[in-house]
Amino acid sequence: MSTVLLQTSGLGKAYGNFHAVNGVDLCVRAGTIHTVIGPNGAGKTTLFHCLTGERRPTSGKILFDGQDITHRPAHKRVSIGMARSFQITSLFQELSVRENLRLAAQGRDGARALTFWRPTEARRQHLEIADQILERLNMTARANTPAGDLSHGLQRVLEVGMALCGKPKLLLLDEPTSGMGIDDIPLMTSLIAELGKEHTVMLIEHNMSIVMSISDTITVMSRGQILVEGPPAVVRQDERVRSAYLGEEG
Amino acid sequence: MSTTPTSSIWRGTTLLAVAAVVLMPVILPSPTLATEILIFALAALASNLLLGYTGLLSFGQGVFFGAGSYCSALVMIHWHFGLFPALLVGILAGALTAFVIGALAIRRTGIYFVMLTLSFSQMAYFVAYTMSSVTGGDNGLLNVPRPPVSVLGFELLSLASPLVFYGFVALLFLAVFVAARRVIHSPFGSTLVAIRENENRASAVGYDTRQFKVLAFVLSGAITGLAGALYALLLNFVPLSNIELATSEHILIMTIIGGTGSLLGSLLGAGSIVLLGDVLSALWPRWPMLLGLALIAVVMFLRGGLWGGLLDLKNRLIRSPEPPQPDTRQKDAAQ
Ligand SMILES: Nc1ncnc2c1ncn2[C@@H]1O[C@H](COP(=O)(O)OP(=O)(O)O)[C@@H](O)[C@H]1O
Ligand SMILES: [Mg+2]
Repeated sequence: MSTVLLQTSGLGKAYGNFHAVNGVDLCVRAGTIHTVIGPNGAGKTTLFHCLTGERRPTSGKILFDGQDITHRPAHKRVSIGMARSFQITSLFQELSVRENLRLAAQGRDGARALTFWRPTEARRQHLEIADQILERLNMTARANTPAGDLSHGLQRVLEVGMALCGKPKLLLLDEPTSGMGIDDIPLMTSLIAELGKEHTVMLIEHNMSIVMSISDTITVMSRGQILVEGPPAVVRQDERVRSAYLGEEG
Repeated sequence: MSTTPTSSIWRGTTLLAVAAVVLMPVILPSPTLATEILIFALAALASNLLLGYTGLLSFGQGVFFGAGSYCSALVMIHWHFGLFPALLVGILAGALTAFVIGALAIRRTGIYFVMLTLSFSQMAYFVAYTMSSVTGGDNGLLNVPRPPVSVLGFELLSLASPLVFYGFVALLFLAVFVAARRVIHSPFGSTLVAIRENENRASAVGYDTRQFKVLAFVLSGAITGLAGALYALLLNFVPLSNIELATSEHILIMTIIGGTGSLLGSLLGAGSIVLLGDVLSALWPRWPMLLGLALIAVVMFLRGGLWGGLLDLKNRLIRSPEPPQPDTRQKDAAQ
């Protein structure tokens, strides 16, 4: 059993009387790919927002790497090793692919980017990270293309690349394949599987063949709560899950 | 590309700015008019840091301008401050008011942010109006001196001649111009553009966007305060209108007409509007109506402002031998 990287206890997010996330106890072990599935509106994205600090949880606690980060703002979770991609593509549309990645790498150092008297290129390390990630994503030829001019599939890949630039311990990917054409999906699947070798990955995903093939642990959510949790083989066999989500697959 | 070599802040548009500064007193009817253009170009450039690079539409610019004018004038009148200490007071006054207004206003975004800067602008005007024993109220602050350039009490150069004063302002303008280019091409400047493009993503990759916005305000306020102080020296007088909402509007209009996201555009915007005002106000008292029309025309037909229009024209006339750059927008932004 490997060590625990992320743990939540009784995590909740309420919008008025509506509990989008309701008493979630989650345990993500270091070095695993941990996938969250569940129908639309189950609260998966809201759970991610709470983990990354985008939203403030209304109850419960989040422990990351042994620290209580429940009330830490989003930007302060990057330097301790969290990075995310968004379900709805969120890039610097008019800036080049390389500049998008460089800015993401520079963000890891947070307030050190306040230096307004130094030239950008004095911080070589950020460009080097950007170039490494470009190569890794196989997008070096597109380095100077504005992010907004990329195909949807490549924008999704860049979305994951932005998270990689933060050199995270925990990579949170919210539906990386959403809206991708059938031809681009294998590319993303192999990218995630490869990332899983070096990072701890939390993944929200709808595509069941991806989920079943790459996950170490699957958490099934429904109405803001955890329905079932376990390795793919167990989740696949669970009656409640079968009836709810895997019906067509048998 | 954002990766401009270090030395290039001394070349390119900086050379154009030097050329403009040298030519202006030769072409224009008076050095005083040229000086006024440079002073408003400083203010527009500062407003551009917020509007063009950070995406913040601030109506606080007139407050920073007025604070710079009043504070530098007051320390010269009452405490006999010399030229450089008085300018420093103007810069600090602008930076401090910008810090306070910026830090409060950026707690909201979008239209609410704009409304907050508007409210602060109104408040500052009424403060200046009611404190008439200090500011002179409606009459303005009279008899502002123009001390000579001096070092350790030794007088080096009198600024009484309009042309010499122009030279002094021109040197300051160029220094600020180069410094502003350095800021834009710094890690800080590139982060401001990131915030303009997508603030949510900027904070997700680790930036405390509020810190960056506040610092942008402080830098903008410092430059605007300097412009205000120079304006007091130019007029030997601080009119109450310096701190009116109309001054903020004026500065914003110059920024937009010149072209947001380009520093040379701010010089162009300030130049055309100061000149237009000078020529037309003699002929037709309702000339500000034309200003409104010009603004509408630029917003509707010339998104890059006058500077953007000139760049387009140049690209059309001189077919560049290179293939078109995919990231032209950013190249323009990096001018
Ligand atoms: N800002 C909000 N205000 C009110 N309700 C919200 C808000 N954000 C999300 N919700 C609701 O919370 C529920 C969970 O949404 P979400 O986390 O996006 O689900 P999922 O990602 O699993 O599809 C949905 O019913 C959604 O309508
Ligand atoms: Mg979702």
